[in-house]
Amino acid sequence: MSLDSSNSKQRSFNSTSSNNQSNTSNSKKRKSNQKTLGMAWGANSLSGSRSSFRSSPFSDFGSYMAVKNRKLQNQFDAEASNSSRSDSSAKPVFDGVSIFVDGFTIPSSQELRQYMLNYGGRFENYFSRHRVTHIICSNLPDSKIKNLRSFSSGLPVVKPMWILDSVAANKLLSWVPYQLDQLANNQPTLSAFFTPKTKPADEGTFTNAICEVKHENELLCLKDASKDASFSEAGNSFEWRKQATEEHDKLMCENSNRTAIDGPSNGYSEEPKEVEVVEPSNLQEDDESLANNRLQSCPEQSSASVSSHCFDNRGIRGSPRSSFIGPSKQRHSTLGDPNFVENYFKNSRLHFIGTWRNRYRNRFPSLSNGLTKSSHSDVSAGSQKTPIIHIDMDCFFVSVVIRSHPELNDKPVAVCHSDNPKGTAEISSANYPARNYGIKAGMFVRDAKGLCPQLAILPYNFEAYEEVADQFYNILHKHCNRVQAVSCDEAFLDVTDLEGKDPQLLASAIRKEIYEATGCSASAGIAKNMLMARLATSTAKPNGQCYIHPERVDEYLDPLPIKALPGIGHVLAEKLKNKNVQTCGQLRLISKDSLQKDFGIKTGEMLWNYSRGVDNRLVGMIQESKSVGAEVNWGVRFRDFQHAQNFLLDLCKEVSLRLQGCGVQGRTFTLKIKKRRKDAGEPAKFMGCGECENLSHSTTVPLATDDVEVLQRITKQLFGSFHIDVKDIRGVGLQVSRLESADISRQAPERNSLKSWLMSASASSKEQFDIKSRGKECIDSEGRSMDVNSSMLHNVSVAVHGTNNASNGEGCSNQNSSVPPLGHLDMGVVESLPSELLSELNEIYGGKLVEMITKRKLQDDSSTRSLCFTPSPPEPAKVVEAERSRNSDTVSLSRSAVEMKDKQPILEELRTVPDSGARPNSVAISTAGLENNDLVPASLSQVDTSVLQQLPEELRADIFEALPAHRIQEISALGLKTDNIHHPMGIKSAADNQPGSASSGLSNNLWIGNPPLWVEKFNVSNLTTLKFVADMYYKANSPESLSSILQCTLAESLHPLDATCDAWNEAVHSFSELLMNYIKLKIGVDIEEIYVCFRLLRRLSTKSEFFLEVYNLVFPHLQASIDENYGGTLNIPPHS
Amino acid sequence: MERKDNQTPQGEIARILVEFLEVAITSVVSLKGIYPPGAFERRKYMNVVVQRARHPQLREYIHSAVSGLLPFVQKGLVERVAVIFYNTDDIPIERFIFKLTVNQSFGSNVEESDLEFSLRSFLIKLSVSQTLTTVLPRDCRWEITAYFRRLPEVSASKDAEMWIPTDTKQWQQPPLITPIKSMNSEPLGLQLYLEHPSPSELLSG
Repeated sequence: MSLDSSNSKQRSFNSTSSNNQSNTSNSKKRKSNQKTLGMAWGANSLSGSRSSFRSSPFSDFGSYMAVKNRKLQNQFDAEASNSSRSDSSAKPVFDGVSIFVDGFTIPSSQELRQYMLNYGGRFENYFSRHRVTHIICSNLPDSKIKNLRSFSSGLPVVKPMWILDSVAANKLLSWVPYQLDQLANNQPTLSAFFTPKTKPADEGTFTNAICEVKHENELLCLKDASKDASFSEAGNSFEWRKQATEEHDKLMCENSNRTAIDGPSNGYSEEPKEVEVVEPSNLQEDDESLANNRLQSCPEQSSASVSSHCFDNRGIRGSPRSSFIGPSKQRHSTLGDPNFVENYFKNSRLHFIGTWRNRYRNRFPSLSNGLTKSSHSDVSAGSQKTPIIHIDMDCFFVSVVIRSHPELNDKPVAVCHSDNPKGTAEISSANYPARNYGIKAGMFVRDAKGLCPQLAILPYNFEAYEEVADQFYNILHKHCNRVQAVSCDEAFLDVTDLEGKDPQLLASAIRKEIYEATGCSASAGIAKNMLMARLATSTAKPNGQCYIHPERVDEYLDPLPIKALPGIGHVLAEKLKNKNVQTCGQLRLISKDSLQKDFGIKTGEMLWNYSRGVDNRLVGMIQESKSVGAEVNWGVRFRDFQHAQNFLLDLCKEVSLRLQGCGVQGRTFTLKIKKRRKDAGEPAKFMGCGECENLSHSTTVPLATDDVEVLQRITKQLFGSFHIDVKDIRGVGLQVSRLESADISRQAPERNSLKSWLMSASASSKEQFDIKSRGKECIDSEGRSMDVNSSMLHNVSVAVHGTNNASNGEGCSNQNSSVPPLGHLDMGVVESLPSELLSELNEIYGGKLVEMITKRKLQDDSSTRSLCFTPSPPEPAKVVEAERSRNSDTVSLSRSAVEMKDKQPILEELRTVPDSGARPNSVAISTAGLENNDLVPASLSQVDTSVLQQLPEELRADIFEALPAHRIQEISALGLKTDNIHHPMGIKSAADNQPGSASSGLSNNLWIGNPPLWVEKFNVSNLTTLKFVADMYYKANSPESLSSILQCTLAESLHPLDATCDAWNEAVHSFSELLMNYIKLKIGVDIEEIYVCFRLLRRLSTKSEFFLEVYNLVFPHLQASIDENYGGTLNIPPHS
Repeated sequence: MERKDNQTPQGEIARILVEFLEVAITSVVSLKGIYPPGAFERRKYMNVVVQRARHPQLREYIHSAVSGLLPFVQKGLVERVAVIFYNTDDIPIERFIFKLTVNQSFGSNVEESDLEFSLRSFLIKLSVSQTLTTVLPRDCRWEITAYFRRLPEVSASKDAEMWIPTDTKQWQQPPLITPIKSMNSEPLGLQLYLEHPSPSELLSG
């Protein structure tokens, strides 16, 4: 037993006395320590006090520096007024620029000062975060580079050449290209990497844009660009981007038009080899028609590209807002960054490649679809020709980035997200000079630096990759209409149809054009099939092309090592090596049967075919992806269970977005977890996953979905089944398979909650207004029944999920939490509900539902319709079955109430709409648009704010909900009132009727994030009380606990809180929701906190009517929750 | 204190928890003043002043009761440990409930000092919670009751044999709950709250 027996009195005395001693000694020490505080940056630490200044007229060092600075400034100003140029009409070059020169520079700091004097800039002798805008230096010591942020305070660190060049150009150039080399490489360290993209990045993309259009008209573009640049700085960079892309597309269009005419001559003049005479007229004609095609398709295309930008490149849209948020957050693990998942994928190259196809398809929709249909009968006939060209850009990821660094052209360069020379970041791509040093992709930076110390490491530039990939495909599609995209930088062309053209000539023309347009080289392989073309490319690389004549295939293959064949990896190669097979020639000696026996039917056949250069695949066959998913296995470290849960939610969002992006829904969900091996230490790679066990669980649901809420629920369940300590998790992946095209189910309502079911039914009845815009919409009753049918199915699936979850304790979250207003209900649907459901609904609506139905019934009776509201409607399951059977056989209308509603003419449906408050037509259209995900703007930037503001609140909330989750933050940027993002809720009735289910129905997401979501929500609301509470969040000592916030509220609110609350009910609802969220969050673990909160609330409620109402509303809910969890009631006397 | 069960984090947690419970229960009993003040002596535990029973039988009862729980706490079977005070009719008057949640899948090692910080706050809070409790009548009785998530297999260990199914009378109405202290630091969650019979219960009783 560890009860201590020593006398506590004695001890406490001792400790105080010793404390006193240590205190005095401490304070002495502190005094002496102060002297050692450095003054590394001159007046940077103004508060520093030195005893040596005591005797001077200045009270301390700080005031001395202040006076000195002022004096220096005055001197500078005086000199400047003397020496400034006479052309005062124009704005001076360095207007607004204030430099600080650090260390030795060429030209010297005095010369630079002179330049600043002459051209209207400022020169600071001492560094100050507030006055200096640029730091000029040629070289930095290591310590400053390592600690760049504290050194530069985030200011650009630029080479002196910037000033000289700006003077020479007589205008202020962008400092980005002049960034200090040490930093230019260093800049995207992990920290910079995970910060929201700030201005430098924008300017970076912008310079790329210049590069692309340079060949068109350099000067003009530069001018335009600089105009645009200022525009983008004004905070509208995405808008600018849109513009730029459109502009760019236009340019491309003109460009292609021009090159179509110039093309042939170019081709002749500069093509060094393999040029054969082709009839120019033919070519020209061909090209012209192609160009015309392009011209026609241009408007479509530009819009497509804009929208796909918006979809894919969330980073850009996020940037203008976040760049104003302020200092960057240095967070690069799940531990620190609440948006880790989002940022992770924003910065992942693999993610870029993975989602690129989706983007490509958006861009060239008709092309990728149409191809599969076109007949390929002529392929076999022309097999003796050489119809396939394989084009692959040379070290794409490097060469695109290198364009803006011409000085690195022949130097070894690699692309990697971090260039810490000792770092464990993996090189993702290296150029050929680097490869000569033995540097390969996947190598750690430190190893690569070991091999080649002068290796330059550059960061990714995803915008540039996109631009180049787009240009690449624009060129390919211009030359050939059968293009199969393999990756963003690799494609097959089937040129069988282009008779009369030598494929070799075509290939070199394409390569040349690619080089001209993008500044990056590409290699091409030409052969009779895809396999051989691809092999030829590998021979041709870098920057060459190779033609394998059909008769020389064997000759080519004989010495080829088997590993060069696609589809033969380490394992297979090893097996073959054991059989003494190392080249294709040797492989060919083995019979097909024997291969199939050893390696399986498929692999055996593949080996047999490939070793003979046989490949029957057709260009244009795009394999549909079998699964969609996302996986994070870097930087995953979880603090606790809740933390891991939040991460999973984010991952689900990402996967859901990807599913929606691909237009598919899936049924099987697999959660993969990388669990740290018991004996594994911290991995060699920084924040890497190290040695892990791979675990996975999967589940299959009856109905395919891409709904984020469903995903989150399933994932939660799966995660629960792992029984794993979250601290051991090093990677998480979620994969969705058994994909079905979402198009079929698109027509049906998206979401499967009861609410949306009712909502969408009414919405689709409104769609009837909108026949023109959605011509093939289900107008006839049959179509409607389809709609309802599938929504019924949705509903049933919810029920199934619910029961599954019941054991989980959590219950199904987020579902059914709110009900639409009565007017939104589709009466036809409501009436056909089973009686249990109907009565439940009726309760929620406080009895008004039955009233309405009876009213309607009377109406119907008067119009001699026999709407029988059946006393014993079928069970829900039967309903579905009935629906199904009727669907297949429309004539059998012998069922009861369920079918009745189908027979109702559309007129009936329309009649319910005026009841619901006579919405203008435009509203109906916008809701209809919501049904179809394609019509939802991907970004709020495309939404007309004024229209949005005039929408009824419920609809607005719906629109916000339909937006991807990330986007909701933008709402505030648009200056909209967002107090109504949540649905109007029947909290009171919910709490009264079914407290248990209400608690499970509410999500606790208001408390996610830091600061939690509700703070933002309350802050932007126009309700004074809520704002007040949100303010308290920042004042509270420990803002993560509500009690602390309430304590503050109680202390601060001297005046009565509810002065004039214009939207009383809203505020009450919002606050109640917050409380219920909180109860749900804390009920299991911390009733003490809840107890404190409610006692505080009770005290608040004596002061404020508002809190009284909230208290009374939530109190029954609280007691029910306590009863459920603890079998008792909280000892707070209820309010009288 | 024997330290044989600390190979797994759960074992370590259980050991700390059981030791804490022994001190906390003694404090509860002392707080309720069911024995004369001289029955306890001041000791230091986790750097705070606590009470220790001087009477060997009392000490032994508490010690054996909680250490008998050790294997079950370790397996996560124990949901609540209650200190129940009865009146002369053997009807519960007041219950101190310790609600335990031990994360069974927690893998990494537990630092005793981390838990100590949180657990100490229970002892401090408990010492000032007298006003929350009811005044006990004379001649009352008390006992330690553990609530299991499921019944353990018989003769899981010889310590377990000292635990017998309880025939405690239950309240008919849901009790009133007064939280005293809660903590939730991975991997251990612990809540201490009071249960009193609801007013209607007293009327009927």
